[in-house]
Amino acid sequence: MTARALRRLLTLVVLLGATVGLAGLTAGPSFAAGSADVYVVQGLPGRSVDVAVDGKTVAKGVKTAAVVGPFKVDPGSREVTFSDGGTELLSRSFDVKARSSWDVVVHLPEGGSTDPTVTVFRNDTSSVPRGKAELVVAHTATVPAADIRVNGKVLFSDVANGQSLDLTVPVATYKVAITPTGKKSPVYLGPVSLTVKGGAVNRVYALGDPEKNTMNVAVHVLATGSSGSKRPDKVDTGTGGEAAGAVRFLARLTR
Amino acid sequence: MSPTSLRTAAAAGLLALVASVTACGAPAAAPVAPGASASAAPSSPAASDGPAPPASVGTPAASNRVTFVPTRVDLPGGAAAPVEPAVTRDGELAVPENVQHVGWWDGSARAGDPFGNTVIAGHVDSATEGLGFFARLLRVEKGDTITLRGADGHHLAYAVTSVRTIKKDALATGSAAFDQTGDPHLVLITCGGQYRRGAGGYDSNVVVTATPKGLAR
Repeated sequence: MTARALRRLLTLVVLLGATVGLAGLTAGPSFAAGSADVYVVQGLPGRSVDVAVDGKTVAKGVKTAAVVGPFKVDPGSREVTFSDGGTELLSRSFDVKARSSWDVVVHLPEGGSTDPTVTVFRNDTSSVPRGKAELVVAHTATVPAADIRVNGKVLFSDVANGQSLDLTVPVATYKVAITPTGKKSPVYLGPVSLTVKGGAVNRVYALGDPEKNTMNVAVHVLATGSSGSKRPDKVDTGTGGEAAGAVRFLARLTR
Repeated sequence: MSPTSLRTAAAAGLLALVASVTACGAPAAAPVAPGASASAAPSSPAASDGPAPPASVGTPAASNRVTFVPTRVDLPGGAAAPVEPAVTRDGELAVPENVQHVGWWDGSARAGDPFGNTVIAGHVDSATEGLGFFARLLRVEKGDTITLRGADGHHLAYAVTSVRTIKKDALATGSAAFDQTGDPHLVLITCGGQYRRGAGGYDSNVVVTATPKGLAR
């Protein structure tokens, strides 16, 4: 397969992933009695996993790039176990604070290993400025530290596995691509068209292994609500007239 | 789901054999049968009755952008004023009453955001308090440096690229002053032009546009 064909296939896969992933729109936080929300992001290519929280199965057969949840949990140390066909893959614990929101991501580590790992990301559910979206891109793929290009510009550089970056962006469709740090090729992922949702945190997880042609994205959109006031129609900032003389003089100068 | 899912099914099957997990790509020593003695491998995550090892906690990459809500603006010559959030009421940006303070439109970009204008407006003067802090904008020139400061010592310097007088009724519709989708700029707004007592005061806005000198710190 030529490099170009490979890239085309990759783009297709990514686009499919994005379409599927966008179905992962979840409701905003509604924390009851100090509980916390846990979402699970399935970042293991080519398999379905069962998920248990504190030994209780909460989801079965979760496919690659799918986001499930929220699962309500009590604050404290919680344990999440992933298994496949009755065989435990791994189990990890993390500290959950009251009224917090978490994405628990099972994914491949950096390098060629096929042993899954788990990274937990705390979701910032504070409101987003009106007409804008919070875009978080997380690196949970096998590739080394990478640059994340948005509309061709490197907006995030040198991001390593288990790291994420966030931006506040206008609601629009962006082309997101992932390339090696400081280079334009090989393109690890994309460019994938991503339409971000306003008043929400749009979390994008790059996952998989380009060597095995399994790069993909999982998208978790978490509604947060909007803040900030409307665009003004006018700005009235002078009622005295004292500055008028100076204004006239300077207006002539600047014309 | 996708063609690649099928292609990696074989790899997945291999994976399923690996009950123990190693951190950084080192191959697992040997598949550990479920229920293997915890004492044989105390750190084995497969031991269902021992506590699970802690998950990695995702961190922001070092290159994450600093963004901040401006709380102070430094003009050329060293004069500085507090910046307060300002909201739009009935279509009008409500700047602080105190003419020595200026207002950051709370729907505009924070300093350091990758897209959109950071909009700050203030009085040129008021009938009761005299000249305002932003009367100084009338002396700002292209190439001047203006610095925004925020909490935790954050700051971002901007270079002035234009100073324009725009008719008030054209500010919102005929200028990009409030644009939130383009490249980031700092836009400082006050009043200017002709002063017409009894006819709505100044007929224009003075708009200073500046571009960031690098990234916010």
